[in-house]
Amino acid sequence: MIHGVGGHILWVDLTKGSIEKRPLDEDMIKEYLLGAGYLSRILFDHIPKGIDPLSEKNVLGMATGLLTGSMFPQASRHVIAGLSPLTDVWGESHAAGFWGAELKFAGYDAIVFTGASKNPVYLNIKDEDVQLLDAESAGVWGKDVFETDDILKAKHGKRIRTLSIGQAGENRVRFAAVMNDRDRASARSGLGAVMGAKRLKAVSVRGTGKLDVADPKNYLKQIDVFHKRMMANPFTPGRIKYGTTSLLELMQHIGRLPSYNMKQGVFDGFEKISGDAINQNYFVKARADFSCLQRCGRYTAVRTGPYAFEGGAPEFETQSSMGSRCGNDNLESVLFGHHLANQYGIDTISLGATISWAMEAWDEGLLTAEDTGGIDLSWGNHESMINLTRMIALREGFGDVLAEGSARAAQKIGRGTEKFVMTVKKQEIAGQEPRAQKSMGLAAVTSARGADHLYSFPVLDEAGFDEDIKERFGEQYLPEMADRLNPKYKGIMVKECEDFMVMVESVGLCKYGTQIPPEFYYDDVALALKIHNGLDLTGKDLQVIGERIVNLNRLFNARVGITRKDDCLPDRLTKVKAPLGPSAGEVVELDMMLDEYYTTRGWDLKTGLPLKETLKRLGLSRDA
Amino acid sequence: MTELKFVFGDPRVCSGCMTCSNTCSMFYYKVISPTRARNRVLRIEPALDFPLFCRNCEDAPCIKACPEQALMRTSKGVVIINNKKCVGHGECVKACPYYAIRIHPDTGKAFKCIQCGQCVERCPADAIWMTTESELAEKDQDGSMMDLYEQQKEEIYDKEDSI
Repeated sequence: MIHGVGGHILWVDLTKGSIEKRPLDEDMIKEYLLGAGYLSRILFDHIPKGIDPLSEKNVLGMATGLLTGSMFPQASRHVIAGLSPLTDVWGESHAAGFWGAELKFAGYDAIVFTGASKNPVYLNIKDEDVQLLDAESAGVWGKDVFETDDILKAKHGKRIRTLSIGQAGENRVRFAAVMNDRDRASARSGLGAVMGAKRLKAVSVRGTGKLDVADPKNYLKQIDVFHKRMMANPFTPGRIKYGTTSLLELMQHIGRLPSYNMKQGVFDGFEKISGDAINQNYFVKARADFSCLQRCGRYTAVRTGPYAFEGGAPEFETQSSMGSRCGNDNLESVLFGHHLANQYGIDTISLGATISWAMEAWDEGLLTAEDTGGIDLSWGNHESMINLTRMIALREGFGDVLAEGSARAAQKIGRGTEKFVMTVKKQEIAGQEPRAQKSMGLAAVTSARGADHLYSFPVLDEAGFDEDIKERFGEQYLPEMADRLNPKYKGIMVKECEDFMVMVESVGLCKYGTQIPPEFYYDDVALALKIHNGLDLTGKDLQVIGERIVNLNRLFNARVGITRKDDCLPDRLTKVKAPLGPSAGEVVELDMMLDEYYTTRGWDLKTGLPLKETLKRLGLSRDA
Repeated sequence: MTELKFVFGDPRVCSGCMTCSNTCSMFYYKVISPTRARNRVLRIEPALDFPLFCRNCEDAPCIKACPEQALMRTSKGVVIINNKKCVGHGECVKACPYYAIRIHPDTGKAFKCIQCGQCVERCPADAIWMTTESELAEKDQDGSMMDLYEQQKEEIYDKEDSI
């Protein structure tokens, strides 16, 4: 018996309005863990080939990890997955908060939604009592994320935890987020639009149960060791002080800060939107999620003016996407923009990147006031950026074009605007100018969910982790692997990081603490799974599970037609030399890194798909 | 008699991570469950996280309220509940102005913080302390922290909806 879990999965058929409670499949846990791995398996088996992601045939999964709700540092996470309406491939997104732990206390580890409801509904869970309720008569349909939370709390009690979409999800904006606990976002892959298409507004949860751990006698003693290590890590004080906002300065210094769409990796106005600038004038408090010791969550306030607000914001990705990427050094608009995106439920990365694409097209004279309905899209026009945020969420005017994401918008407009689209598999590249860190360029193309830095999160070449590289890979890979500008060994590194990161997302831990700083590794997770869940898995077992999940995600994508030809970056990043800054003159040597990556993975060099023997070793087949 | 001790925390510093509650339910009941922790942590917007504990009142209305005389103060000044005498009818819960005593969902008996300090040791934000009334007054000289408790009292001590 597996300890420390809720024990059941809810299967909700939205077409029929029926709810079924199924026990956790313990055999599947041994092969895929929970969280991202478990959903990878379920959705591979249940999402038919060739469907429209916004049709009722899509299946939407929400799952906690094996350690979510435990006392392991940062064990606060859940994952949302389905076929992505932005990329048309595997879609997956994660968030921290309290919702995941609460779901476990209610007795559930995951929820799978099939079909689509005719009328807007929300799922309300109070321990054993699980009901689909009318979202229109409850007054939440059409409301933003904060209003939805307020209304559901007034109705079901202040102690519920809410996950919901805002107007962007309802309006099927292709990069709509699924929000929880007000300002936590499962933002990438546009799965908020899948909720909207299913007419599922929210999942509110109250759980008063308990997690009975496998080794209660030694539990606190071992947790104390993990806690002490986390608190003693030299990264922890900085994380508490700045969250991820101080990354902005670091990225400027290595020329990795996407600026003016992704023309360059340095931004003159960086100091104005930096972590220090936020701390000086707007920072209110560092906030944590369940069991989180690092509290990177920021709570900020702009007290006066057009951008006045108070709430959870921002983090590095938004500083770059709505700041430097749009050529915008008006910090108040960046903070407010992040707040608005939370309120409407939008991915700030794709939002800023899509607007910055339009700004570059405007700058090149390819987009005019006629296209935008009179909106001026000059670089740094923060008023337009804020207006467009609202217009995208509500699909008004030019916002309706941008709500499709930059790749589709460019296709519609044409006129050469396509070459300014900075996407992989139609998802906008996040805040890592890859010409300044080659591993990030590779990671963006190999990620199962389209352009993404987190699926692999190859940060070991970012800031002097030579010792960790030595430990994880061996001394023979130094110094090349630690050199962010050297493409050598990056295929090996990205592969290793992907296996580890999908495993981390399957146990519900945070990438902060496992990957940056790399404090906890496979053996630590194995020990946690032993004392919390009673699972006897070695670090090596966990690595193989990670590898299995990555291969299964690749098979999912192969089924919708993805091959090596799709694993590519925009020409700007592979053919045009970085024009300015510390990484000037660099391009991403993608093909060479990809060759190394496929070889290391045991994937075919020509097709980029897993070889038969690789699948056999992992207990998979083409039909999985 | 030495001054009574109790655990208290600053809602401006507390990050809301629940480590105190999780420590408590694990230490005493071998489970992770905020509902089974002897304290509570409530997040109240904007930006406040209240870690809430027994205040160890001088007059201890909970002791007087119990018709079974199940509550008593030990020689160390801690108010404890005698499980053999407690029948769980909840008079102490009603009497406590801070909702610091609740009925345990599994045992059906009253339970409360007994100032053991396990949570204080583990708070990653150093937001909670074992303290006394006079020490607290010293720490909060401008009264701004206590003001927050006063301003939010309806929500943080609401017995219907606070667990």
